[in-house]
Amino acid sequence: MISLEDAARKPLPAPDADTATLWRGLREGQLLLQHCDDCGNVQFYQQGFCRHCSGENLIHRPASGRAKVHSFSVVHRAPGPAFKNDVPYAVLLVELAEGPRMISTYTGGPADEVTFDMDVVLVCEKVSDNITLPRFRRA
Amino acid sequence: MTKAAALAGHKNSLRGQVAIIGIGLSPVGKVPGRSPLWLAASAAKQALADAGLQKSEVDGVLAGHAMAAPFHRFSVAFSEYFGLQPTFSNTLQVSGATAATQFNIAAAAIHGGLTETVLVIGADSLLSGLTPELALRSLTESRDQQYEMPFGIPVANTFAMTAHRHMKEFGTTPEQLAQVAVTQRRHAARTPGAQQTAPITIDDVLNSKMVTSPYRKLDCSLISDGGAAFVLTSAARAKALGIEKPIYILGGGECYTHEHIFLMPSLTVTGAVQSSQKAYAMAGYGAKDMHTAGVYDCFTGTVIMMLEDLGFCPKGEGGRFVADGQMTYGGQIPANTHGGMLSFAHSGIPGSLFHFHEVVAQLRGQCGERQVAGAELGLVHSLGAGFATNATTILGTEKTL
Repeated sequence: MISLEDAARKPLPAPDADTATLWRGLREGQLLLQHCDDCGNVQFYQQGFCRHCSGENLIHRPASGRAKVHSFSVVHRAPGPAFKNDVPYAVLLVELAEGPRMISTYTGGPADEVTFDMDVVLVCEKVSDNITLPRFRRA
Repeated sequence: MTKAAALAGHKNSLRGQVAIIGIGLSPVGKVPGRSPLWLAASAAKQALADAGLQKSEVDGVLAGHAMAAPFHRFSVAFSEYFGLQPTFSNTLQVSGATAATQFNIAAAAIHGGLTETVLVIGADSLLSGLTPELALRSLTESRDQQYEMPFGIPVANTFAMTAHRHMKEFGTTPEQLAQVAVTQRRHAARTPGAQQTAPITIDDVLNSKMVTSPYRKLDCSLISDGGAAFVLTSAARAKALGIEKPIYILGGGECYTHEHIFLMPSLTVTGAVQSSQKAYAMAGYGAKDMHTAGVYDCFTGTVIMMLEDLGFCPKGEGGRFVADGQMTYGGQIPANTHGGMLSFAHSGIPGSLFHFHEVVAQLRGQCGERQVAGAELGLVHSLGAGFATNATTILGTEKTL
């Protein structure tokens, strides 16, 4: 169980041993994808093994930042007090030009302008000294 | 597949080897002043009385996790509270799919000789034991802390994105989603103890407040208190005990396709396809043979997608299937005849145990005015975590062995 105090704060990601590079990249304005040097698989999120071939020769390359909205849902009832002031906001499931999908939120316009297959681009949004979140705006 | 072929392929399977001999419910809905352990014990007492057993005759306990209880090992805490010292026990955690895995694993453990008689239990007090905000936040906490939670994604949102994509790909409409809620509310009206029984219309659903598009308030399951318990034992022991109407476990299957919603292979086809195919193959029966079903219904669109993936209708036709009256009495598969989590109750893990309670009661012929005539074969499908977890169990009467 969590306390009411904790519930009032927005959860911030705590990078782990596998993912420090990703969050460092975002601080520098880049979304890093892992390219497997053994089989060519491109993956998000950051991990120690290729999900396809279990290879460990993973190379970080910045994503182009171009993506399409594969699905989305506009949140009207916040999941807890921390997000109450943000509603309505659009949670996006985007497909990056490089293939992998990821979760993000829409920025730079009202939530109701989001549509399926809409072209969007990456915006790196600093939320604390350590954490910059990858968000997306209309292309 | 014919029944003989299935049996030939599963000589050592648990098909028909284990029976449910007792079922019990605690008070459900809004039950203030009662802890999850009390709710579990209350349901267990009912289930033992229903089976005609003493608690000393139970040697196994399989539980689900309770969010409003501070225990890491709910099955162990329950055993102490209820005065048991079992020699087989575990607390399973695959979110909403836990219920069907409890039955599958209990059956396997009994069949494999690890235990003889198991109490399958689940109880939680999400309505009275947690404030609504904490309950919601607890559900959010189940998402990934690095890639999902920072974006304010409630678990509802993951299911919403699958339904939304289903609408885009197959033309499923908000009215068809609403029909699921309307049908199940009508079912709940005939279920004693159901939390919501007032009739609703499609317009009521469409006019209820938007939660996370495309889901409105009445597309979402309830938040409830309550618990359920079951007594399972070997078919041989059920016979020796002279149980009047044992309900047999005929097949079980599971499938786990992803952890993060963005790694779900397809947003509109789920692991329920594989879990149900495994269960059907073990049982030697198919979707068309089922007389009734308990279909996990955290949201209306979830039911539509599951009716497709469980094989009751082709992919993409779930919306029309529901609008055509096929998930209620007189239709192809009367489902969630107690009202489901949308109208009967949803207290976390027990939400899907209530489906088991209903399907067993239907197969026993105990459902009174909501009885599905001639029900001999039933399916329960449990799922959770944005379709990350899927588990199916097929149940049948002695006639179906």
